[in-house]
Amino acid sequence: MSGNGVNRRDFLKILGWSGVGVAVAGCDRPTTVTLEEGKEEVVAYLQPEEYVIPGVGVWFASTCQQCAAGCGVHGRVREGRVLKMEGNPDSSINYGKLCQMGQAGLQGHYNPDRIKKPLLRKGGSLTEVTWEEALGALEQKVGAASGLAGDRFAWFTGTVSGHQSVLLSAHLAALGSQHHFVHEVINNAVGRAVNLDMLGEAMPRYRLDEAKVILSFGSDFLGAGISPVYFSTAYAKFRTGSPRGVLIQVEPKMTLTGGNADLWVPIRPGTEGAFALGIANQLLKQGVDAAGVPENIRALIASHDAEKVASITGSSADRLARIATLLKERSPSLVLAGASVEGHAHGYSAAAAVMMLNMLLGNVGKTIVAGGSSPFPQMEAKMGGTRDLIAFADAADKKNLDVVFFYGANPVYTAPSHLGLTEKLKNIPFKVAFSNFPDETALSADLVLPVLSPYEDWGTHMGIYQPEQKVVSIQQPLMEPLYPNKGFGDLLLAFLKMRKVKEYESFTDYYSYLKNAFTALPATVKGGALTNDEFWGKTLQKGLLEVPTVVGTLKPRLVEINLPEYKEDAQRPFHLVPSGRLGLWDGRHANLPWLQEAPDQISKIVWTSWAEIHPATAARLGVEQGDFLRITSDQGALEAQVYIHKGIHIDAIAVPMGQGHEEYGRYAKGRGVNPLKIISPGADARTGELALYGTRVTAAAAGRREFLVKLSSNETQLGRKMVATVTADVFNRAEPKTIT
Amino acid sequence: MSITNLINDWSRYRKGAEEGGFHEYEHQWAMVVDLNKCIGCNACSVACYAENNLPVVGETRFAKNQGMHWMRVERFWDEPDLQPYVATASNSLDAWIEGNPPAPRSALKPSNPAPIAEGMLERDGKGFNEQFGFHGTKSEYQDFGGSFLPMMCQQCHSATCEPVCPVAATYHTPDGLNAQVYNRCIGSRYCSNNCPYRLRFFNFWSYYEDAWPEPLHMQLNPDLTVRDKGVMEKCTFCVHRIRVVKDEARMENRKVKDGEFATACVQSCPTSALVFGDKMDPDSQVAKLWNAHQVKQGPYKQTKENKELRGYRILEGLNTDPSVMYLERVREV
Repeated sequence: MSGNGVNRRDFLKILGWSGVGVAVAGCDRPTTVTLEEGKEEVVAYLQPEEYVIPGVGVWFASTCQQCAAGCGVHGRVREGRVLKMEGNPDSSINYGKLCQMGQAGLQGHYNPDRIKKPLLRKGGSLTEVTWEEALGALEQKVGAASGLAGDRFAWFTGTVSGHQSVLLSAHLAALGSQHHFVHEVINNAVGRAVNLDMLGEAMPRYRLDEAKVILSFGSDFLGAGISPVYFSTAYAKFRTGSPRGVLIQVEPKMTLTGGNADLWVPIRPGTEGAFALGIANQLLKQGVDAAGVPENIRALIASHDAEKVASITGSSADRLARIATLLKERSPSLVLAGASVEGHAHGYSAAAAVMMLNMLLGNVGKTIVAGGSSPFPQMEAKMGGTRDLIAFADAADKKNLDVVFFYGANPVYTAPSHLGLTEKLKNIPFKVAFSNFPDETALSADLVLPVLSPYEDWGTHMGIYQPEQKVVSIQQPLMEPLYPNKGFGDLLLAFLKMRKVKEYESFTDYYSYLKNAFTALPATVKGGALTNDEFWGKTLQKGLLEVPTVVGTLKPRLVEINLPEYKEDAQRPFHLVPSGRLGLWDGRHANLPWLQEAPDQISKIVWTSWAEIHPATAARLGVEQGDFLRITSDQGALEAQVYIHKGIHIDAIAVPMGQGHEEYGRYAKGRGVNPLKIISPGADARTGELALYGTRVTAAAAGRREFLVKLSSNETQLGRKMVATVTADVFNRAEPKTIT
Repeated sequence: MSITNLINDWSRYRKGAEEGGFHEYEHQWAMVVDLNKCIGCNACSVACYAENNLPVVGETRFAKNQGMHWMRVERFWDEPDLQPYVATASNSLDAWIEGNPPAPRSALKPSNPAPIAEGMLERDGKGFNEQFGFHGTKSEYQDFGGSFLPMMCQQCHSATCEPVCPVAATYHTPDGLNAQVYNRCIGSRYCSNNCPYRLRFFNFWSYYEDAWPEPLHMQLNPDLTVRDKGVMEKCTFCVHRIRVVKDEARMENRKVKDGEFATACVQSCPTSALVFGDKMDPDSQVAKLWNAHQVKQGPYKQTKENKELRGYRILEGLNTDPSVMYLERVREV
């Protein structure tokens, strides 16, 4: 074993052979210990260590970190290697289930492109250095002697929670900086702002299982949403209820959720707010009580009669009336807004118009109820959006930053070109990336610190959406580190010790810090009279700690709604839809070969980018499937192969996020295009979030064609009974009720 | 071995469909796929890759239909004007089974793409039901979403792949599984030619050479092999997981309990659309579902008392007798 890492035996000594020792004892690396090396005694498997039974897998609990949902997982460990992830049945987020991203996390852990040693920029290029040298260079820049203080320092991260978030905040406080930029491309930041203003709670509990009708405006809760597995389990209850729930999806491009809708309603991008007001208009016409609605909003609703809304949105007046009738007749319903509503300059107002429908329909208190809060607000997830990306680019532009630490985010890839981030980053003298992979941000940094993978490191997490029960979820090592690197929590402690020696010197490592934090909890949280070690062991075994949840009440109130007139753009007639994918997500999973080869749920395309267009649009543009389409915005152009289907509005062109990496290892680099790059400037007026769905583009055949690589060449069943469909009437009448 | 024994053994196996097929199984591992719950998310497929050492073949090989996805999720649009093929009474598979072969394949090819008719994109103001009828809809949009279909080996009880294997590499186990013996397989590919579901996958390459660059190979599941070039492979219903629980049950002198384990795909399914179990165990969820939906193993055509029950088996008219029952997709109209 390499000399500079933490030796396994030392590691176990630190852990004191407690319940944790149990977890780690299953993690030997027999293949790497050889006689020739002579560094460790070779022990035959005839005398295996405790808990290692050759040929038998043992499961350990941990937390998935493939997205911010924070699902509980079990990892199967055999002969010291982690082999398979499954959901933790004790988790109230995923109930033992796991999505494809969670399954594929192992390929990040075992990825052949992982950075093995710290990289330091020397003479313009990144060079491998030892951890001593790397941390030495870092101490020079951010240590007590560096004089760095205040807002000249910043953290730039993805969603963080748990004790890492606590330590990260402490580090910022120690330096006296306010700058914690939190960035997620797939987020619900606008929706949170709307909820906070209109309900008094940013993330209330949506009772899908109670709803009889769900009207979803572009909310891809089954796919690229806030907690895909949680909502999928709830969706199953919604669909098997009695009567079966009805899902209507209104959006410009069919998402995974739209693909499962009973009625999929295409809509001109940016007119969802008008559609919602049109529904409100119909509801009032049908006698829904609007006593609490102020006069100005009532006037706004009155101005959105069916014919006007139909002409704005490209839908039909008849359909509007029918949806309103359905919502009124089958109560309670649930109306949701998603990324395609929120991603406009008027995103807040549009989402507010959607939320107003819930109030008119009396859903608040029935299908939208208070989600509650935990007693540990400092550990709850710090959720981000794109506003912080703009603020960060601005700070870099004004040369306000001397040192920035990047963790769990890849802004050089996700930032639209108009932010000019690549150029502006040159204004920051010292950039540190805590990254395992040679992604775009890491390769533009001055120091790259390869942290341990989520399967090798300690940590605690709180999922961003925990509406039923607040839990602190444990992340524990499922095997020994592949490379002798350092854990993120250990690094945070080391940074804190650079500034606040006294406060943190008693913690030898992050593990002892965590154990201390848990055993110091009051008995009410611990649940029963247990010794510290018993409690800690039990918590690790279960993988999570349920903490008391304080459920408040929602305080519904209406807000101003300002929707602009929809305008055609003769020069750029199409809307660009940069859709998120359950799979490659915002591009962070493009280096996982399983997910590259897992077909997109809607188009079934693998390994590349594509542009989805409607057959009528294809005819208008004179392109066929496989033709390259050149899509041009005011920020640039990209070319992608055309995929033609009828699940997209005729005025929209959808290019999925995820591909178009310039770096990021062998599986991701140089594959497809990144639609975020050609997003036009613009942000939501209220929240400052980027208007990701507000870009107008032109499109023209690029004059070349390639075979479009996808699963299955048949789009139809050729008259065979492959997927048979029955009506919900039949289902409600004939479905055997005895089987669960 | 005498000729009498041979004939006796033979006639034990040779039970026709009208007699309900072979009866002496120890277990009958079976599955139910509820298309009302399936959202087409792909979790099952990737779970299968993780569990069964499936190689990632890369873009160019995938383009040649060499993808090794034992579990795949098909998505049908069922909209005739993308590929102008409309099933009629005379060219459907049902008609073919009844003795009327479908029109030759060339007749299915798209003629000139239909021109966009004047006013096609306008609404005609018709009612919900009229305007959005089911198959063969004239609607210009995908009004009812997609049709997702998880497809794994259907573990047929009269499998078309089994009798054509020249070396008996694929055979039927006493568990009712359609098994593949890798080291007996000579790669004739007759079985995959004969599989009507396209669920057998051939190793055209030695994928281990480039599918698992170090240290990706450390994830490989030691419970099963990595297959080499020239071998046919397919979904096994996670037979290695079945082995473990059967061994454990035998050591504890008990029967395998329902829900004691599940295949990788069933375990991961976020909506629990997939159910797995032993159909011989009358208390298993699988057996209950098959019974409740009045789907019987054996016949090539189901005679249900209640015709509205959703259970069906894919292409069962070919008399393959699959072990996977699908429950029809549901849409509100």
